[in-house]
Amino acid sequence: MRSLLSFAVGSLWRRRSRAIALGVGLSLTVTLVAAVLFLTESLRAEAERGQVALPDVVVQRLVAGRPTAVKLADAKALEGIDSVARVRPRVWGYVFLPALQGNVTVVGVPGVAGLPSLDGTAALEKGRDLHAGKHEMVAGAPLARALGLVVGDSLGLPSPKPSPPLTLVGTFGSAVDLYAADVVLCDEGDARAVLGLQLDEATDIAIDVKNPQEARVVAGTVLDRMPGARVVEKSVLARVYTLAYGRRAGLIFAACIPALIALVVLALDRASGLSPVEKREIAILKAVGFSIRDVLWTKMLESLVVASLATAAGLLLAYAWVFWMGAPGLRGALVGWSVLYPQTSLTPSVDFAELLGIAAATVGPFVGLSIVPAWRAAILEPMDAMRG
Amino acid sequence: MHKLLLAALPIVIAILGIDAHVRRARRAEDRPAIAAVATRLPSGDLALSGGARWLRTPSMEEPGAAFDDGIAVPDPDPAGAAMAPPTSVWSEKP
Repeated sequence: MRSLLSFAVGSLWRRRSRAIALGVGLSLTVTLVAAVLFLTESLRAEAERGQVALPDVVVQRLVAGRPTAVKLADAKALEGIDSVARVRPRVWGYVFLPALQGNVTVVGVPGVAGLPSLDGTAALEKGRDLHAGKHEMVAGAPLARALGLVVGDSLGLPSPKPSPPLTLVGTFGSAVDLYAADVVLCDEGDARAVLGLQLDEATDIAIDVKNPQEARVVAGTVLDRMPGARVVEKSVLARVYTLAYGRRAGLIFAACIPALIALVVLALDRASGLSPVEKREIAILKAVGFSIRDVLWTKMLESLVVASLATAAGLLLAYAWVFWMGAPGLRGALVGWSVLYPQTSLTPSVDFAELLGIAAATVGPFVGLSIVPAWRAAILEPMDAMRG
Repeated sequence: MHKLLLAALPIVIAILGIDAHVRRARRAEDRPAIAAVATRLPSGDLALSGGARWLRTPSMEEPGAAFDDGIAVPDPDPAGAAMAPPTSVWSEKP
């Protein structure tokens, strides 16, 4: 077997231009496909990590097809539903900052007491957590950097009614950058003032259910009590990311069709037959004592070496592109276009099984396609093959 | 020496798999911080936006964009888990 492998490598070296062309084509295709898969799976995994604390049901009020403020009285009406553990009206929204030409997300925290403190966790990079009623804010580190703010500075956010400036008391750490890069966390009263919400209004209503299996029943009851409301279940939220990233990945794959076709053409070139030089080489091998089995092993090893090296290079390039370099060029197409872009590097979601799957899907067909023409040439009499 | 050529792929898969495992383990240490922040945010959506419309929280937004990002550009972000209907629907007479 070792001598057959040596002979196969020598044979590849003699036709190195063709082998390199095949290998580079295969490698680039693997790089592109694997990079899109790595990035898509990584984003889905990040989105799943953020869903740990999601409410089971979110209720929005729609007017003219657009979400609008809900009344606190609506929340009261939902508290009596069986199996509902907690109903939380939430105050949050977007504020456009002309200085950034982008939106920030303003989130009101209702009485900091009932929530776990951010102090002492990796959630905060600098400073401390909010103190209620002090007109303070905690902001994403990229947002603070973009506005030139440091802890202790004050900022007046644009608002429909005069609102007090908020003092930056802390910035979010890189561990939560992907979720909070553009967030301004402040007291609920301050958020109401900035967002122009009345005291009896909230942005939406979050409902925690005692038994998550009953979320659908609760959603149905909410619709009965609030006709025309938009009810979003936790399971639907998870589906959004599957759809959004799946569709974006699909669009990129569609743009890659020419590259994929090139791979098919290369593979067909391998499958359609051997060159006259290769046929003569096989005939000589048989004439000097190689069996059909030896010939097939040699040709299979040739393909295996090319496909293995190309796939290894493709996987390595894709991984380095996405996780070591931050996916330049690809990130904008697949991730988004935020002005306040999270700088955190992505975490790989890919495991051994997926890597082996990509490798098998590439190497298997490539090697398989090389066997048939080699077998056709190997079963010929050496003299017939040399005469052509 | 030649066997190394065949071993390249398993070696690369092993290196990438181990690197990914180590990075996932390191990221798992951030779970308490993520949970602490996520409980205060309106959704667990990532801080990434769309083009023509604001899609900071795609799971919460209205289903369907007000206008395209560009001429004949498909909407890459189906908000609220809803896909836009085919445009032929609008040209059909009742």
